[in-house]
Amino acid sequence: MSGDATQTGLALKGIRVLDFTWIHAGPSATRILSDQGAEVIKVESNNALSVVGGPASATARGLGQRHNWNAGKLSISLNMKTPQGIDIAKRLVAVSDVVAENFSGRVMPSWGLDYDSIRPINPGIIMLSMSGLGRTGPWKDRVSYGQTLQAWSGFTELTGFPDTDPSGPASAYSDAVGGMAGAQAVLLALIHRSRTGRGQWLDVSQFESLSSLLETLVLDMSVNGSAAVATRTGNRLPHGGGAPHGAYRCRGKDRWVAITVFTDEEWRAFVEVMGSPQWAEDQRFTTADARRQNADALDSFVESWTVQHNAEEVMGLLQGAGVAAGVVQTGEDLSRDPQLKERDFFRRVPDQQGQVRIIESAPYKLSRTPGSVTRGAPAFAADMTYVLRELLGMSDDEVDECAIAGAFD
Amino acid sequence: MRRVTIPETQPNAQPALPLSGYRVVDLAGPMGVYCGKLMADMGADVIKVEPPGGDPMREIGPFIDGRPGPGRSLYWLHFNTNKRSVTLDMRTPAGAAALRKLALASDVVLETGPPGYMDSLGLGYESLAAESTGLVYASITPFGQTGPYRDYKASDLVGFAMGGYMYVTGWPDTPPTRLWGSQAYHTASNRAYIAILLAIYHRMATGEGQYIDVSMQEAVAATTEHVNTTYNYTGESAVRCGFRHGGQFVATWKCKDGYASITTNTRKAWDDLRAWMDRDGMSGDLMDKQYNDHFVLRGEHSAHIEELIQAWALRHTRQEITDFGQSNHHPWGPATTADEILQNEQLWGREYLKTVEAADGSPSMVYPGDPYRLTEFSQPMRRIAPAPGEHNAEVLGGVLGLAPAELERLSA
Repeated sequence: MSGDATQTGLALKGIRVLDFTWIHAGPSATRILSDQGAEVIKVESNNALSVVGGPASATARGLGQRHNWNAGKLSISLNMKTPQGIDIAKRLVAVSDVVAENFSGRVMPSWGLDYDSIRPINPGIIMLSMSGLGRTGPWKDRVSYGQTLQAWSGFTELTGFPDTDPSGPASAYSDAVGGMAGAQAVLLALIHRSRTGRGQWLDVSQFESLSSLLETLVLDMSVNGSAAVATRTGNRLPHGGGAPHGAYRCRGKDRWVAITVFTDEEWRAFVEVMGSPQWAEDQRFTTADARRQNADALDSFVESWTVQHNAEEVMGLLQGAGVAAGVVQTGEDLSRDPQLKERDFFRRVPDQQGQVRIIESAPYKLSRTPGSVTRGAPAFAADMTYVLRELLGMSDDEVDECAIAGAFD
Repeated sequence: MRRVTIPETQPNAQPALPLSGYRVVDLAGPMGVYCGKLMADMGADVIKVEPPGGDPMREIGPFIDGRPGPGRSLYWLHFNTNKRSVTLDMRTPAGAAALRKLALASDVVLETGPPGYMDSLGLGYESLAAESTGLVYASITPFGQTGPYRDYKASDLVGFAMGGYMYVTGWPDTPPTRLWGSQAYHTASNRAYIAILLAIYHRMATGEGQYIDVSMQEAVAATTEHVNTTYNYTGESAVRCGFRHGGQFVATWKCKDGYASITTNTRKAWDDLRAWMDRDGMSGDLMDKQYNDHFVLRGEHSAHIEELIQAWALRHTRQEITDFGQSNHHPWGPATTADEILQNEQLWGREYLKTVEAADGSPSMVYPGDPYRLTEFSQPMRRIAPAPGEHNAEVLGGVLGLAPAELERLSA
């Protein structure tokens, strides 16, 4: 191991990632690496569609997502429709540790940049291929979006209340999950490379990453058959679980608090906080089993109390008594959350024009390698000079020739 | 680019799995049980430490044949694959001493106790790191080790709510809704696992261990996709919109036999959809050029368009919609019901689902595989979840060298 990895507070200092990923899952995976000091070179193109996180994020929210998932990275523009563009990409492969991509399966081979083709250029290379359904199997050529995968995996049907349409996850949970799985796979491969010198190809199917979060669903059906088919249970747990266990309306417009009570001790504390109302003595609520069986009635009583209070007040009162309760926080709540503030969750970093951008920090604190996020996403093609001149050692003439050939369009 | 030197002691050694050779002490409850599984499934020797009566997670359903009892919790069987088990009571001096010894003989400690709890047992990071500088020690808590809410309690639901994911999940006229499964717990686990892998990698280069502080709330808050960016960049809080994500252009619709996801992410997808509706005589005025831009679904006519698409979708099955969309390269697909997942040809085709035959003639079980495919490795299941204290002799006796009498006393 070389000595460039230490004393910097960055676990991945010295690692270079050639990053072809776009939209959400891929960039969020490489952002995890960038936070820990990996030099992530984002390969972009003016020819690419303007999509979320892409070069020309049109909306304010798109701009936010570009910064959030690309903070700290470098950007170059390469037109992969030109031989010069492909040649530069190959030269970058030769000096990188990781290549990341989340295109459909035919794109990288069409550029001669699939794993088998790039391994001769750099035998130790780690290639991360993120796709919806994986690069093998009968569905390998199917097209998917995050929401398609949530539907396919069962998350859409299973999320929501039994008596309404399913709602599914509110956002692209599968992209976030795929991003985490992609980063995990790269880190496992880096560990393996340090032990053996060997690189490898990582075939991450977001469908599988998501299916890994279905808990016992498959196991249950395989053992217990049709009796075990899972259905929507709203905010209650399908197996055991407590009561009350849900979101309860509070004073104000669309304000809610989440409350969960599991043990008798928690129940007694909860009742006391509510001022020991008479209904709580009802036999329907005196044991944990009874509370579960009569959860609908219980929920109405609980809400008749919560609705008289602010959500923050209910949280404070119940937490003070040792009962798990929390405000169902909105985006605005999060931005003001004293806990997140104290822990510096939102970072204010400058972009290349010096404008301050708000991004999320990594949701873990490592004592020796805390990582660092010091700037927002790069401006499109902001790092051509560094990458072409310094990294690849290209001459002025060479750069000009490539430019004339359209390699940077 | 980092220069890689192959350690001379193991020339070309090929570990069976990426984490083979690492030992993990797993003290986690439900908030971190998935993190331990992720490490065990990648080859780490994960030792689940249980109190002498067995871990309370063994009482979480579902159960084999729906009946609770020893060895019958599928929750336990799922989340503890490839782990070993020892029993000891870390609240007693002898138990704490044995656990200390085990932790010092390990590479990683994973725990989910309230802040300060492990310190109170003399088993906190500072105390162990004084003797084992390379130790990686990860604590997952609801809100982290610092800050005004550090001592607040949270279940999965409360973590999901405080992290900002619950408010946006569900329909405008339903309460905020949890995702199916304990996803706040698993997100905390997923994030902790990333941090542990980073720490292991750092240790390979430097020999240094470190302390990892994971907050479930932050883990969820960093996983919502749009909640924070929407507020921080527009000043508006995102709201619940059911499965009409992204303002109808990424949407799921009720159809003849369930629900199907029809994403019109490109002009072509939108044109193909409205042309199909038109062929069915159900496009209303949607062929009009004022609707040409596929982002029209986000605009002022969205309610009108939504009504037309919904009425049309009810005429078709999930299969018809999927087949048409996929043959035109659009990301359309069915909302799968739980009973269909076990039949999924892609999950079987990639050997993601794994059948494990039971030795005693009871029915075979189908386990889900790993969230990623590392092509240097086959990723088999090596061992089903352990019985309580199944590995007391080999771990407490074999690894720590405790005498049989001591062992007996610890696990009684």
